[in-house]
Amino acid sequence: MSITVRIPTPLRTLTGGHEEVSVEGANIQAVIDNLESSYPGMKERLVDEKGVRRFVNLYLGDEDIRFLDGLNTSVKAGDEISIVPAIAGG
Amino acid sequence: MPADLSFGPREGRLAETTVLLVGLGGLGCPAAWSLATSDVRFLLVDDDLVDETNLHRQVLFQDEDVGRAKLDAARDGLLRLGVAAERIELVHSRLLPDNALELCSRADVIIEGSDNYATKFLTADAARLAGRPVVHGAALGWQATAWAVSPTGAPCYRCLFEDVPTTETVNCSSAGVVGPVVGFTGALLADLCLRVLHGEAPYGVLLSYDGLRDRLRETTVPPRSDCALCGSGHAEQPPIVQLSEDRYLRPVCAA
Repeated sequence: MSITVRIPTPLRTLTGGHEEVSVEGANIQAVIDNLESSYPGMKERLVDEKGVRRFVNLYLGDEDIRFLDGLNTSVKAGDEISIVPAIAGG
Repeated sequence: MPADLSFGPREGRLAETTVLLVGLGGLGCPAAWSLATSDVRFLLVDDDLVDETNLHRQVLFQDEDVGRAKLDAARDGLLRLGVAAERIELVHSRLLPDNALELCSRADVIIEGSDNYATKFLTADAARLAGRPVVHGAALGWQATAWAVSPTGAPCYRCLFEDVPTTETVNCSSAGVVGPVVGFTGALLADLCLRVLHGEAPYGVLLSYDGLRDRLRETTVPPRSDCALCGSGHAEQPPIVQLSEDRYLRPVCAA
């Protein structure tokens, strides 16, 4: 089942410039593992030993997965995951 | 005279209201512009100078302001918009642990549009300790966020991000800042400020704007019981009870 992942500008160097990529996976953790297989270096930018990095937000549709079931949040074909880095500019 | 953009006929209802603006950059300038005719008093804090690269988005400044203190140029910009000189107070300094509490205590609402995590956390802490509502803004590239935090937090900035990052974040890039994105977001900060003053603030709802898709996403941030600033799960009170300088000295992102 194919999930669409939206890639923010700073991480597009890892995806060959692609703004959106399609990956397989039944939950967020699997999607991230499969992202890492296709685009090495992605995983460490998104998660650490404690889970989703503090300054990265992962949205499933409009919901922040931290407030769903975290990395165990289930996904289904057609879902869209957005990677949104926390920002500090002003 | 500029058009009256306050809530309705000028009743001076915000005449005794002070808005502290932390940072007069890409977010602070349009936020101040949007509030210029709302009768509020301005308390402006910044120590930076106007740079030529600021002009495309820091809309209170003009070409001849390059090299001047941002606050002096911002005051002139607000005067041009019809704000009375006595309603503008300038503090030529960064927000610092030794002035933050006093400045926040003098404000009815704080708008935080600074460009680094240390100042964002300091503002969050000082606002909570002073018991003042704060509206946080941030922008990078085509992305921006805005949200209002109540005087008692729950949730607060530390519920979301916990602490100043100790390592480089994904955010630290040379993405630049898109002028209309900060213009929109600055106006949104002003809108949230007025909603706070109106008693209609959407406290705890994080608004994320994507300028490439013109999409505004709402995320409800739950309070974190172990939050060091406002958490309710501590045996006594939350651990942050004062502004210790070392808490804000970690490497910060020069976005």
